[in-house]
Amino acid sequence: MAERPLETDDDAGTVPPADMESPTVDAGLDVPPQSQRGDVRGPVILRQRYLVDSGAPLPALDSPSAMAFNVEDQHDFGRKMFGLICTPDLPTRLDSMRFLKNDLPRGILPFADWDVVYWPPLGQNTTVVIYDQPLGGRVVTRLADKDTKITEYDVARHLVEPLLTPIQYLSETGSAHRAIRADNLFFMDEAMTEIVFGDFVTAPPGFDQPIMYEPIERAMTTMSGRGRGTVKDDIFALGVTIGVLVLGHNPMAKVTDQDQVRRRQELGSFTALFGETRIPIPMLEPMRGMINDDPDGRWGIAEVSNWLSGQRSKSPTRKSRTKADTPFAFRGHGYNNPKVLAAQFCANVPEAARVIREEAFAAWVLRSLGDKKRAEAVKNTVQNAHFYKDGYQGSDDYIVAKIAIILDDSAPIRYLGYNFMPDGYGPLVALEAAQNGNQEIAAQLLSRDIPAMWLTLQDPPFHDTPMLNKTFAKLKGFLSINDPGYGVERLLYEINPSLPCLSPVLQTSCVVTIEHLLPALDLCASHSDTSQLPVDRHIAAFIAARFDEDIHPHLKAIASAKQEISIIGVLSLLAFLQWKLRQPAGLGLCSWVGGLLGPVINSYHNRKTRKQLEKDVPVLVRKGSLTELFDLVDNAERRRTDRRGYMDAQREWLDAEQEIREIQGAGDERIIKAERTGQQTAATISVVLAMSEVAILLLVKAV
Amino acid sequence: MARRAVASRSSVGKIGNWLWAITILFMMSWLTPPTMIILALGGLPTAVAWLIDRSDEKFATYCVGGLNLCGIFPYLLKIWFQDHSIEAAMNIVSDVFAVAAMYAAAGFGWALFVSVPPVVSAFLNVVAQSRVTFLRAAQKKITDEWGHAVSGGIEPPPQQTAQSEDETAEEGDAGEG
Repeated sequence: MAERPLETDDDAGTVPPADMESPTVDAGLDVPPQSQRGDVRGPVILRQRYLVDSGAPLPALDSPSAMAFNVEDQHDFGRKMFGLICTPDLPTRLDSMRFLKNDLPRGILPFADWDVVYWPPLGQNTTVVIYDQPLGGRVVTRLADKDTKITEYDVARHLVEPLLTPIQYLSETGSAHRAIRADNLFFMDEAMTEIVFGDFVTAPPGFDQPIMYEPIERAMTTMSGRGRGTVKDDIFALGVTIGVLVLGHNPMAKVTDQDQVRRRQELGSFTALFGETRIPIPMLEPMRGMINDDPDGRWGIAEVSNWLSGQRSKSPTRKSRTKADTPFAFRGHGYNNPKVLAAQFCANVPEAARVIREEAFAAWVLRSLGDKKRAEAVKNTVQNAHFYKDGYQGSDDYIVAKIAIILDDSAPIRYLGYNFMPDGYGPLVALEAAQNGNQEIAAQLLSRDIPAMWLTLQDPPFHDTPMLNKTFAKLKGFLSINDPGYGVERLLYEINPSLPCLSPVLQTSCVVTIEHLLPALDLCASHSDTSQLPVDRHIAAFIAARFDEDIHPHLKAIASAKQEISIIGVLSLLAFLQWKLRQPAGLGLCSWVGGLLGPVINSYHNRKTRKQLEKDVPVLVRKGSLTELFDLVDNAERRRTDRRGYMDAQREWLDAEQEIREIQGAGDERIIKAERTGQQTAATISVVLAMSEVAILLLVKAV
Repeated sequence: MARRAVASRSSVGKIGNWLWAITILFMMSWLTPPTMIILALGGLPTAVAWLIDRSDEKFATYCVGGLNLCGIFPYLLKIWFQDHSIEAAMNIVSDVFAVAAMYAAAGFGWALFVSVPPVVSAFLNVVAQSRVTFLRAAQKKITDEWGHAVSGGIEPPPQQTAQSEDETAEEGDAGEG
């Protein structure tokens, strides 16, 4: 096997170096106008304390997904720190950042702080993570420089023991490191006595890992779909790391990922990775235990601890590999191993679908694999596909994906070219949406129950099945509603707590938390199309996913077909956010919303009220208070008075109209009526005269 | 059935009224023949008015009758208080001046019946027009304050159309603002 010295200065990272070489201009936290972006370079202040110098890169401390820069602590100038500049589109591990900030576990690079700041070389906001600098540098670098040496006798005391503590700590917090690899270990002190894990929060779990550090099932996925994982995955990576450090080289350096996976499928991971190397005998047992492909047979914290304390741990067990008695011919090759055959099927979908539909395949599964259950499952899948010929269940992709799971249930989901573990669904769809603008795949995978199908076919069940099923059911619920605040956008933010808001309005703002939203919208107001509402589907979904309060009434209003109600919904939602988060006034956002209030003001019936509102709105816009603005334009008492007044006015108007019509519309009837009144008057006059005369004459006679 | 019963009941009532009238006339003719002579001859215009007045209310009859009575009554007083005899009654009805006075009074009654309705009608028309003007003004005030939607889709009167167009334009401006 070809050997390669440990590499120390990877070119990894998504921040292009060219972008970093721009003239130095002082940059603050505010987003400068578009024209100035990307052509500035200088220090950036984070949380009024850490000065990140974009002109002072530290390539030795780079992470694959984040470049390192020198940081100065304004409260302690002697403290050596560095900052990792995250890739803007890439979801980070915000939950881990939060607990690392509050609790500093031993064995992990001391985490100082994080925030989203404007990063001049990128010309946009991004997440910056601050760590204490490891004074002893990267372990692999020091080993390559022969500054130190790790022998098989040092492994237990100097490597595994200090590193097991953070693994156990993370496991107890329900998390996993998922970035354990040889080049992510650092000497914390100059004397190189303390080894710590490097960064693991700047990318999704397992994203930065070369596939040799991943258990076989996660190694088969795309980078973003590797999944959250568990302590067992960390132990696997630790086992591989030990092997690499003890050997002093990477045994897989010249093997392609595809070949590596195939060899691991055929031989098992330990044999494939280290079978052709000279692993010191004392290390064989722990490494076999840690690099076991069967998660149940793999060593856990207890076994590693036992080994460290010199007690006997259970011997690594090897799960017997299923092999067919007779090979199955596919594309000119014969396959005995169903796992390899499944991988071949997934690589050649149309041909695989044709072969699967033939009876010979089910017969091969029954006879050669001798597995009635699987043969039955294959038959059912083919029958189902025939029955739902026109549905997705009848498509080649679906059949092949399902058959691949039946043949190799531990392998990841392989559907439509996306390979992922169910717990890696979130980062996969997030990255697909953020980098390729493809949101549909997230909806498609879920609406077709692909992850659920995978979970159902697991035997034994996948470790997180109940929680994952619950999560997927909840996400499907969101998907079934098409209103703003739901749909595929909501799904993306619910499953990815650290995904920045993907709204085109906030394209360069990298809004990760709900607290960042209003200030970012406020800044965007100056260069956004203010004829559009500031809350689009992405922002509505982002708020719904990140804001703990009940915002259903607001979302319902936003979804209204009536423009004025929709605008009121947006204003009320933003005002609610401002009030609940106690955020300061935002003149830009307020003026943006204020400019859209025309239809809302016109929804008042009373013209005097409208005029008054038109006069008052600019005053409140200048104050920047969304809550006051909302109270002004949608005051309940004012609305009630207006409605009541309008109803009274309507009644009065109609009464008057009716009377007018009675007067005018009568025509001949009115003339006849007037004539009769005249006749009656004449008759009355006549009778009154007669009676008066009779009375007077009688009186005269009587006197 | 019910209609027929109501009709037969009303005709019975009419016959009853006629019988009463004939009885009273007969009684009066028997008790005061002079009075009846004057009334019979002097009240001829009223009888004619009653015959030609086809309305239910019989305003013409009342009008002519009222003033006719004004003309007859002084002569009735004369025979009641001076000489209550058939001869005196005959003298009065044969006196051209007396008959002329009675009929002139009746004629005046007819003239009243003809001339008062147009006057009253004109007066009522003026009142109605002023009421319409008042109501239109009230409507305009309401529309000015609440907009044209307040009419509930009823077309504004022609005289308000031009004005309303201006106001709609104003509303549009406000909306854009």
